[in-house]
Amino acid sequence: MVFSTVITPSPQLHFPKTTFPIIQRAIRTYSASLSTTPQRISTSQFDLKTYWTTLIQEINNKLDEAIPVQYPQQIYEAMRYSVLAKGAKRAPPVMCVAACELFGGHRHAAFPTACALEMVHAASLIHDDLPCMDDDPSRRGQPSNHTIFGVDMAILAGDALFPLGFRHIVSHTPTDLVPEIRLLKVIAEIARAVGSTGMAAGQFLDLEGGPNGVDFVQEKKYGEMGECSAVCGGLLAGASDEEIQRLRRYGRAVGVLYQVVDDMLEAKTDKEINNKKKNKGKSYVAAYGIEKAMEVAEDLRAQAKKELDGLEKYGEKVVPLYSFVDYAADRGFSVGDQAQ
Amino acid sequence: MIHTMSLMHDDLPFMDNDDLRRGKPTNHKVFGEDVAVLAGDALLAYAFEHMAVATKGVPSERIVRVIGELAKCIGSEGLVAGQVVDICSEGNADVGLDHLEFIHIHKTAALLEGSVVLGAILGGANDQEVEKLRKFARCIGLLFQVVDDILDVTKSSQELGKTAGKDLLADKTTYPKLIGIDKSREFAAKLNREAQEQLAEFDPEKAAPLIALANYIAYRDH
Repeated sequence: MVFSTVITPSPQLHFPKTTFPIIQRAIRTYSASLSTTPQRISTSQFDLKTYWTTLIQEINNKLDEAIPVQYPQQIYEAMRYSVLAKGAKRAPPVMCVAACELFGGHRHAAFPTACALEMVHAASLIHDDLPCMDDDPSRRGQPSNHTIFGVDMAILAGDALFPLGFRHIVSHTPTDLVPEIRLLKVIAEIARAVGSTGMAAGQFLDLEGGPNGVDFVQEKKYGEMGECSAVCGGLLAGASDEEIQRLRRYGRAVGVLYQVVDDMLEAKTDKEINNKKKNKGKSYVAAYGIEKAMEVAEDLRAQAKKELDGLEKYGEKVVPLYSFVDYAADRGFSVGDQAQ
Repeated sequence: MIHTMSLMHDDLPFMDNDDLRRGKPTNHKVFGEDVAVLAGDALLAYAFEHMAVATKGVPSERIVRVIGELAKCIGSEGLVAGQVVDICSEGNADVGLDHLEFIHIHKTAALLEGSVVLGAILGGANDQEVEKLRKFARCIGLLFQVVDDILDVTKSSQELGKTAGKDLLADKTTYPKLIGIDKSREFAAKLNREAQEQLAEFDPEKAAPLIALANYIAYRDH
């Protein structure tokens, strides 16, 4: 990817009163971050693709076991349809497991939470696609849930997947690996990320508009999931508060980076889709143009890596999370089905 | 919060399509369908967050247990199961008592069961006591619905606070429809007795609120 070094004048941005979202910080500090790049552990030898695809296999197996079909079949089929979609990349579980292992946790401690993240993620996507919401006919390379099972069943599938996530964490996390007090923090974290100050807020703003720019929506819709996944991994492993905050900022940056790059890729391949986004939701490229998007992506990459810089003491264990950032920006290989 | 969100989603046009709830216009009528869906989701999430962070003076193991228990009651093995079977039964003339009971045990009783069991666990009940309370809750949950069915036939919308006569209009299977009003009333009385039997071995003073609740459900007129 070739990035322009000329900073184009930024359009009028709305700054929310309380906190400065990560993207606004990105635009303001872009030039500063270019100056120093500290020496980092080499990630060039790390095979992220194998790491990721192996994890996907495990997660898929566990998800399959977690949602067996029983009476009444329709709801389970609807739930499985979305959760087990072939096009799912499983980024949240991978971030969660990698973060857990970074701090010395065992991946078996993380798997139930990783699965829960996918269930909750699937639930919010099912609801997002509904006719009264984004009205998307397809998702992850297949027809969206409500087009197959009906709107009522899709609503209920989402309503069932949210609590199933929490239940799965409680019933499957080995308490010898994760004490209950930490489980409660994980549950609270996921609930917060999904709720009225997290993804639900993002979706609401996406639909209803308002003075907040695409930046705020992007952070709420995509940053939250990334943040939540990384934080949960850290919580499971018993990371310190300071380390959790790093993971929080890391996860948020990666989540938004991923979406900005997705917007850029879509804009490059198909102008029609770009127009659709302009009318319906908020695309970063549609709002600010591709050059600004590139700048922001680069800065988000730098920000995410900077958070991991403080974790050098964990040595090689930090590598998967580093590689993940580069993947989000460069998409050097394909995982699952790239179609959205 | 959970109860409210399930009602919000239930009232949506592509579900039960209700205009009136708790004496007011339904949520989606005021805020739009999209917001009603999201608000429901947000309430669901917040319920769990609240339990996890705000419960004081209870060991973590118990809080984790009740979170798991609540999640089970409201998901595909509980509340949602009842709603699914209810949807798939609409317009079907062959729905029998077993089927109807399934719907009510899951759609109505599951949350009551959850509430009672959660309270019991948090209060330190042993497994046997929890099961007694579970059975109590199942009885009053079913009782609630039987009485609801009876009221739908016998009362007006204003008295009820929600749309009356809907069941008949939607050709929904109800207890009065299956076994008649008199037998429905008998069944309700039986459920109330069974419920209170579960509380017989507890301190009557401490059990009084639950007994009163059972009676309230049985004798309410709206």
